[in-house]
Amino acid sequence: MPSIGDLLYAFALWLKTTPLVEFSLWASKTWLSQLFDKTFLVTPVAQSIHILAIAIAFGSVVMINLRLYELSGQTRTIAQTAERYLPWIKWALVVLLVTGLVIIVGDPVRVLLNPAFWTKMILVVCAILVNLWFQRSVARGDVLWELAGQTRLKVRIGAGAVLLLWCAIIFLGRWIAYVPV
Amino acid sequence: MSLQAFWQSLQDSPVGDFVASSSWAFPTLESIHVIALTIVLGTVAIMDLRLLGVASTDSRVTVISNDTLRWTWAAFGLAVVSGTLLFMSKATIYTIDPWFLRKMTMMVLAGVNMAVFHVFTWKSVQEWDTDRILPRAARIAGGLSLGIWVFLVFFARLVGFTLGKYE
Repeated sequence: MPSIGDLLYAFALWLKTTPLVEFSLWASKTWLSQLFDKTFLVTPVAQSIHILAIAIAFGSVVMINLRLYELSGQTRTIAQTAERYLPWIKWALVVLLVTGLVIIVGDPVRVLLNPAFWTKMILVVCAILVNLWFQRSVARGDVLWELAGQTRLKVRIGAGAVLLLWCAIIFLGRWIAYVPV
Repeated sequence: MSLQAFWQSLQDSPVGDFVASSSWAFPTLESIHVIALTIVLGTVAIMDLRLLGVASTDSRVTVISNDTLRWTWAAFGLAVVSGTLLFMSKATIYTIDPWFLRKMTMMVLAGVNMAVFHVFTWKSVQEWDTDRILPRAARIAGGLSLGIWVFLVFFARLVGFTLGKYE
């Protein structure tokens, strides 16, 4: 069976056959990319804001999950918990997108040809879809959330999967700096 | 043993050597460190925003503290363990990087701010538990905490960009 490393390596080789090679090389020669790369503080500041936004988004995801597990926040219903944290997740995601773009522009080749980056993006799309589904489900007043009963196990497994998904996203984000491209 | 010799001995220890020479240990510990610190920061921010009257104002201050503090400490423990292991891999370099020292200064300030809040301000919490606008001392503690943590993250990130200069 191939290891995760083998799969990432095969992914990296495939990325090198795509037009992303030319595109990232072109992007790295644009004046904006050169400016970001040469201005020392741009990337660290963007990365710091990126981490602060992860703290808001992931912290909120953790709080919703702890509520689903009945480990924290039981003074609120699940609908109230969602109402408290979902807007913060949404706006943090906007900040993550903007700061993420600044980081990419500062070093397009390292990011765009990176298998860890694209795997992360796939998982980010999954996380956003799960979030939208949860938001709609709660807004519709689905009893699934409040009346744990028979659905409790299902909800707990789902919440655990979402938590793992976010951890994987954070892992891959850090590994972008280490995976050879 | 001088302090310098102590850092050197941490770095030369089997653990320090392993983290430094393994191809996966450092980035893996860093990832765990980010997961831990974002939970610390996220939960601290929830409490700070309540103190500032920005969010969760419909809940008692003691309820928000109860909901977050245990998880803040659990995640902080994980951040300290992963952080110590990262530190051991290059202890002699971290201790001369000014940004690392600035980060640690912020860490101390965050601790002092939290201690002052819990020892003095928290005593009268029953009087303002349900208020939306809290006494000035509580609002200052919340604002200071957020500010300190923002700079702490920034200084910490700069360590990654400057460490090479001191090797």
